[in-house]
Amino acid sequence: MDLSFLPRFPPPLGDVSVIALILLAGLGTGELFRRVLLLPRISGYVLAGVLLGPGTFGVLDRGMLEGAHLVLDIALGLILFELGSRLDWQWFRRNRWLLASSVAEISLSFTFVWVVLALLRIPWLQAAIAAAIGVATGASVLLVVMHDQRADGPLTDRAVNLTALNNVFSVVAVTMLLAPLHLEYRPGVTILLIQPIYLLLGSTLLGYLASVALVLLARWLGKREELQFIALVAMVLLTVGVAKALQLSMLISLLALGVMARNRDRGRDLLPVEFGPTAQVLFVVLFVITGAAVTLGELAAGAGIAVAYVFARLAGKLLGVVPFSGRSGLPARKGVLLGLTLMPMSATAVAMVEATARYYPQFGERLAAVVLGAVLILELTAPLATQLALRAAGETHPDARWR
Amino acid sequence: MTPLPFKASELYTLGMELELQVLNSRDYNLTGGAVDLLALLEKSPHPGDIKPEITEAMIEISTSIQCGYAGLLTELTGIRDAMVREAERLNLSIAGGGTHPFQKWQDQRIFAAPRFKHIHDLYGYLAKQFTVFGQHVHIGCDSGDAAVRLIHLFSRYIPHFIALSASSPFFQGVETAFASSRLNSVSAFPLAGHMPFLPHWDAFAEYFEHMRRLQVVESMKDFYWDIRPKPEYGTIEVRVCDTPLALERAAALAEYARALARYLSEDKPVEPSADVYLVYGYNRFLACRFGLEAEVIDPYERRKRLLSEEIGYTLGLVSRYASDEAGAAALLHLRDVASQRRGDSVLLRERLAQSKSLSDVVRWAAEVWMRG
Repeated sequence: MDLSFLPRFPPPLGDVSVIALILLAGLGTGELFRRVLLLPRISGYVLAGVLLGPGTFGVLDRGMLEGAHLVLDIALGLILFELGSRLDWQWFRRNRWLLASSVAEISLSFTFVWVVLALLRIPWLQAAIAAAIGVATGASVLLVVMHDQRADGPLTDRAVNLTALNNVFSVVAVTMLLAPLHLEYRPGVTILLIQPIYLLLGSTLLGYLASVALVLLARWLGKREELQFIALVAMVLLTVGVAKALQLSMLISLLALGVMARNRDRGRDLLPVEFGPTAQVLFVVLFVITGAAVTLGELAAGAGIAVAYVFARLAGKLLGVVPFSGRSGLPARKGVLLGLTLMPMSATAVAMVEATARYYPQFGERLAAVVLGAVLILELTAPLATQLALRAAGETHPDARWR
Repeated sequence: MTPLPFKASELYTLGMELELQVLNSRDYNLTGGAVDLLALLEKSPHPGDIKPEITEAMIEISTSIQCGYAGLLTELTGIRDAMVREAERLNLSIAGGGTHPFQKWQDQRIFAAPRFKHIHDLYGYLAKQFTVFGQHVHIGCDSGDAAVRLIHLFSRYIPHFIALSASSPFFQGVETAFASSRLNSVSAFPLAGHMPFLPHWDAFAEYFEHMRRLQVVESMKDFYWDIRPKPEYGTIEVRVCDTPLALERAAALAEYARALARYLSEDKPVEPSADVYLVYGYNRFLACRFGLEAEVIDPYERRKRLLSEEIGYTLGLVSRYASDEAGAAALLHLRDVASQRRGDSVLLRERLAQSKSLSDVVRWAAEVWMRG
């Protein structure tokens, strides 16, 4: 009997089913977190990823995750675009103390983590890269919590602006620190300086060109939210695609796109982005995949170091922000809350670890154990901290749901 | 002794309160920045007084007692400059205008203070819908009787002040067709409207005491009247104006109110008449709806008149009572506004026609307020 029309067993899971699986697992775990553990859903999404991921139960293998990467790119792209469009250079110019707190926050969190890791006998270059990755606040967590809580106010504004700057610093610093690695692994000195410059200028130029196109497109389409959203997704994807093809920084390109689209839009043709229910779908996938990059085994091995990393980083953020809060116009109590909103680490950190691992497999593995452990700890704690901070600052919407 | 003493104050002195919009500098929506802004202003020296209002995106400034236009404008400018300085540190913008064109009332947060919480508990959603921005002008009176009399005489001129200040054509993202949509939000309150037609202060004090015993009100603050006496200040308080887009317009309106009060009290062109209140509500609506284009009913002459012409005529009559040279110039300017029928609501609509973006309209309004 010819039964060749029947599928293989077990049937192969296509990309479409993988995304459905990701969504259902995220949804279920997220709700359990909210109802049973009284923790924000985001933490649940991440844990679903950890459990399903290749490092734990292996329901999702690397190939499947590659397939879902498109969704992740859209989600992260939209978030970074929004982060850029909320960055306000003028404010830093008018309020120098704010700029000072940004510099302090960046340099202290970098230094503290570096020193603590070095004391824990991690080679200095590795420690420095891990510290540079940690400078960046997880924009996805911050912005999704903000949207969830419909937060708005001076503290929220600050959190976003400081996050945009620390993300840019992080990408540039990591790139520059990777250069010595090039020297270790293969010869050539020019790469030390030329690559960061190529990365910065190239990515900014890409963001600029995309912003010109986006504003023109928006003007042509008129003020129609649904059409503009399509245009935005298209330009974000194009930016991601070109950045990848030209080995530029996706993060800097998208931030530049956001900043310049906003500043170039003198006729106010671009409508503000509203993340509706559709975008929530993207975010669930984003957090689950972020979780899937982490393995519990790694964490168990480096738990002590990861905890030290988290505390050193938090100390740097707080000590950077709190002393300047009064001078920059925020009461000291809110300065502490601002420090807490800078806690999250998320998808961009994972992406930087993965990029490092791609070029320098061995080196990346050692780095991953440290940073991904910290990411996991922070994915489970920082969403709650961010939410509590925004609430305590009184900047959440009166109707926003708790968690 | 009357149960409600009226503290006599110097005749025709001036004071002003302005409710202002606290905006983010991104899309120029209202933002709950008043708490942090007030905290900063507490530590920074400034003239006048700056206080919270019912929701966190509102802030109220008030001047001290002033004798005339020049002093008033100087003080207002000082307050404005201090506010702008501190607001910029927080990346906030400040604007005038009777309503915010596209805010959603349900997004507003009640300012954490017992009085505002009480209002929210009592009035429910009306409290958040009360996120509208008005100008209140105080005029000094030397006795309660004079105050009561002046209120009745002044009531006839309410449409002038509505039309000259009207700056709220957009509300909740909608073109309302009104020049001032703000007053519609005020009308929702049970104690809105006008003072009853009472002959003198003792009668008013008795009325107040009666209402208090009936537990309708606890204090004078519970009356949301268009013009109300303020016995503890010794003033009448004219409350129908939208907050204008520019500081100078606010000061000019106060100057007009002051000169008109003096004209009505000293020249005695007419006596108080209950007829004023027969046409009051309808005239008020006409002025809100059509602004300077309105045709209102004159209760004394019992005929319709073009509001812009009546304003021009009245400004001519009262101009000799201008407090100083600058005040006289301000009154002349108001005359031009009336004759050209180009009030703030017209400017806001023109701006929208140009930019097609309410967010840009607010950005422009903030520029007008902050930079003068």
